[in-house]
Amino acid sequence: MSVETATVRRSASTGFAARTFATYGQEFIILACIVVLFVAVGLIAPRFISPTNLTTIFVGNAYIAVAAIGMSMVIISGHIDVSVGSLIGVLATISGTLAVSGYPVWFAWLAPVIVGMVVTSFIGVLVAYVRIPSIVVTLGMLSILKGGLISVTGGAWITNLPPDYLIAQFRLFGIPSPVWFMIALTALAAMFMRYTAFGRSIYAIGGNGEAARVAGIPVERTTVTIFAIHGLFAGIAAVLFATQLQVIQSTVPPNLELTVITASVVGGVSILGGTGTVVGSTLAAILFAAIGSSLIFLNVSAYWLRAVQGLLILATVLADMARRHRIG
Amino acid sequence: MKTKTILMAASLVLASSAAYAAGWTGGDDLPTNPLACDATPGEVVAKPYDGGVPTNAPDRNGKKITVVDVPKLIGVGYFSATTKGQAEAAKELGNVDVKTDGPTKANIDEQITFIDNYVTSGVDGILFAANDPVAIAPVLKKALAAGINVVGYDANSTPDARQWFVNQAEFNGVAKSLVDNLAKEIGEDSAFAIVTSTFTTPNQARWIAEMAAYAAKCHPKLEFLETVEAQEDNVLSFNQATTLINKHGDKLKGIVGMTSVATPAAAEAVTQSGLCGKVAVVGLATPNAMKPYVEKDCVKSVVLWNPVDLGYAAMYVLRAAADGTLKPGDTSVKAGKLGELKVVNGSEILLGSPFVFDKSNIGQFDF
Amino acid sequence: MTLSLRSFMRHEAVLGILLVLVLFVLAQQSDKFFTTANILNQGRLMTEIGLIALPMTFVIITGGIDLSVGSILGLCAILLGVFWQNLGLPLPAAMALAVCVGALAGLVNGLIITRFKVPPLIATLATLALYRGLAEGISQARSVRGYPEWFFVLGQGEVLGVPTQLWILIVFAIGAAAILGLTTFGRATYAVGANETAARFSGINVDRTKLLIYTASGLVSGIAAVIFVSRVSTTRSDMGTGVELDVITAVVLGGTSIFGGRGTIIGTVVGLILVQALKNGLALSGVKGDGTIVVIGVVLIFAILASNLFSRNGDG
Repeated sequence: MSVETATVRRSASTGFAARTFATYGQEFIILACIVVLFVAVGLIAPRFISPTNLTTIFVGNAYIAVAAIGMSMVIISGHIDVSVGSLIGVLATISGTLAVSGYPVWFAWLAPVIVGMVVTSFIGVLVAYVRIPSIVVTLGMLSILKGGLISVTGGAWITNLPPDYLIAQFRLFGIPSPVWFMIALTALAAMFMRYTAFGRSIYAIGGNGEAARVAGIPVERTTVTIFAIHGLFAGIAAVLFATQLQVIQSTVPPNLELTVITASVVGGVSILGGTGTVVGSTLAAILFAAIGSSLIFLNVSAYWLRAVQGLLILATVLADMARRHRIG
Repeated sequence: MKTKTILMAASLVLASSAAYAAGWTGGDDLPTNPLACDATPGEVVAKPYDGGVPTNAPDRNGKKITVVDVPKLIGVGYFSATTKGQAEAAKELGNVDVKTDGPTKANIDEQITFIDNYVTSGVDGILFAANDPVAIAPVLKKALAAGINVVGYDANSTPDARQWFVNQAEFNGVAKSLVDNLAKEIGEDSAFAIVTSTFTTPNQARWIAEMAAYAAKCHPKLEFLETVEAQEDNVLSFNQATTLINKHGDKLKGIVGMTSVATPAAAEAVTQSGLCGKVAVVGLATPNAMKPYVEKDCVKSVVLWNPVDLGYAAMYVLRAAADGTLKPGDTSVKAGKLGELKVVNGSEILLGSPFVFDKSNIGQFDF
Repeated sequence: MTLSLRSFMRHEAVLGILLVLVLFVLAQQSDKFFTTANILNQGRLMTEIGLIALPMTFVIITGGIDLSVGSILGLCAILLGVFWQNLGLPLPAAMALAVCVGALAGLVNGLIITRFKVPPLIATLATLALYRGLAEGISQARSVRGYPEWFFVLGQGEVLGVPTQLWILIVFAIGAAAILGLTTFGRATYAVGANETAARFSGINVDRTKLLIYTASGLVSGIAAVIFVSRVSTTRSDMGTGVELDVITAVVLGGTSIFGGRGTIIGTVVGLILVQALKNGLALSGVKGDGTIVVIGVVLIFAILASNLFSRNGDG
């Protein structure tokens, strides 16, 4: 609230640039970090910015950025989903199994998206109508999905995937499809969040649920829809995740939910709800991928890799907090 | 201001860590015992029996027994294969009831709880593959004290915590096989990198340490570049392997995969980078995961023992121990279709030499 | 206050009934479940999570969360080994120092949350990565073993027939319940959780309360680490991974509201017993590991759902 008032007062004298920076401050900082990282590491180890490595960084982590779009919406609305990692594991397995069982390729792509939406809508109903806190529901779902997946598959590898199913390996104008998905979906979601009434209602619910209700927003229905949209993105992320390689390991990717949440949160989405953008979370996902790759190029001792990553996450978070308080 | 301090600290850590000496990262610091450079087999040391003994085990000779198998984790192809072998053996034996149950991540905390619960529920036998040799010892000793037969496979515990350990291959044997295959495929003075699960996984750490010792002895010109960790995750292993390829470019001639997840991922990385045939991939893997790459000639051979046989043998060993036909001091044990297996190192049973899957035989296997 | 007490009592009632039901069913399924030996053994196994759940209750009551407890456990565990073996300190000193590092880690969490105003979820998400990374880096992925026999009494021994660490858990639980229920600090904790601004204006030193709570969380994680090392006789840098989720499950199941302002130690203890009983009882009755975690997930959702349906307020 105070950010808007401050910027309104200031914009009279300082104009467009300051206003944009105030709302998109964290996104600019992350973009700046990405640029600095690429330049600095690129000077030390030129192969870091070779086209093949850039492809690796972007493509290998595009699915995280896509999943973070949905997660950002959930977090902006004041909730959270810690089961997204297990969900993606389950959806990827469903997708792969359909593909090798002779179903048409488009069905193998579409089914996980629909199943994802069904599951997250169910979570949304429990959160919005039964009023169980989202962290509780998703904590429970995490166990249910993970246990269910292991029971059914036993971790069997899914092989013999039909080549025309491997959508993550297609290229359009020379750029791999996951990158297109990431950019297109981020842009669409960003415009949706900013320019549609529904998108703005997500911010409203996250900012102050009661005020939103009084203003006429159907909070419960909107919440379920938000979770459903989150499931849509999780489904797409799962398909990208599943088709990266020629085999699918039907397990839950470790720590995926933490990575996705961290990307959203470092990208400027406030866990208190009500602020942040999907552009920020996508940029943060790219930044983390770049950091991870750069640490290998910089010969950082493999034993200290995680410590350095943790330190950098902390530094980014503190920088964001410092920035917010300078403005507010 | 505080941010600046943190950034300074970060750069300090970066700087200091970059200065770390490059040994073979990922190896442990236990003593190594490299084999001879030619085909001389390692000396078989006759040691007195050093395994544990169950206290007051009831007479199980010929009777039906319930056995539980607690691998490092469930939900991975490798342990699904050992389960398959155990089931096969149980069927042949006819008087064994075996099931596999274990943690969903390769963590000692949970594995110990699983074994503990089964001790309480009164099983007759426990098969295990340890996440940590020392950490698992207390609960296994508890099992022995309760009269339960305890046999390990794949990943050992301290010898006194179990009766027998079915070893797929000696650590130095696996190391020799991997390094010899690597040198053969990339040449004596080329550079390579390693993809492993984590640095704390005991088997992997042992193998890397033994590989370093053997390479120093027999292939001194091989250049070790680095080791990367990739947990047990397929996609992460793929990304790490691709990053290695991007970083070292033409210098990297080979990648060694230390787990059955890392090797197919490394092969995929080589395939997608269009370097099939230019960068060799050597490692441990299950045939199913490697079929696409072996059939396309991207990977020449896959070294592994047969995990189905490993589970099969472990089951037979447990049955023999429960029946009393395998006693401390015996020098061999009959293991169904695998024939007589030798007892080495006091209380280890050797499965045999590593199995090599290649284009000619990989199609026959389904695990 | 009375209203929320009443709705809370409903959750307690639901939980109590659920516990009795679960225990009854599990006891029917296996005759090894309800034996003294098994119960004491389960007490031994649940001590680490139980200990950490105590300060976590405080943390969640203030409306915060601490995801880094597992990483602090891992860090303190390897530091115990490093202090003892690499630095040559006598073992008791190493134990004490490891616990102090835990407290320090918790203090850092608290400072990030109070001085930098970073929301607890994000702060502890960041320190989760940092502390785990430090554990891996400092230990260089090496384990430390070979502790003297007396050290194992803590984790594997018994005092008067009851596992040693269970005594520690009982003492800490009683202490925590006393602090939360009977002291001004306890009331301040509730006040901060119910309405932080109001608490600040009524003179409560909110920052100091939070700092103490997060420090306590780290300290207790350090103690749990020492007990864990003693129980498994070795140190590993991956110890405690995932502990935070188990702890939060127990606390939330016990009726502590994730939004803050409500919760009791006794609820946490009941939640803890319920989860442990399920894990153990289901295993004894032949349900495999993957099935067990599905059941626990369902029980978690169902328990909160039931207590929500029964409570008139329906306010999460």
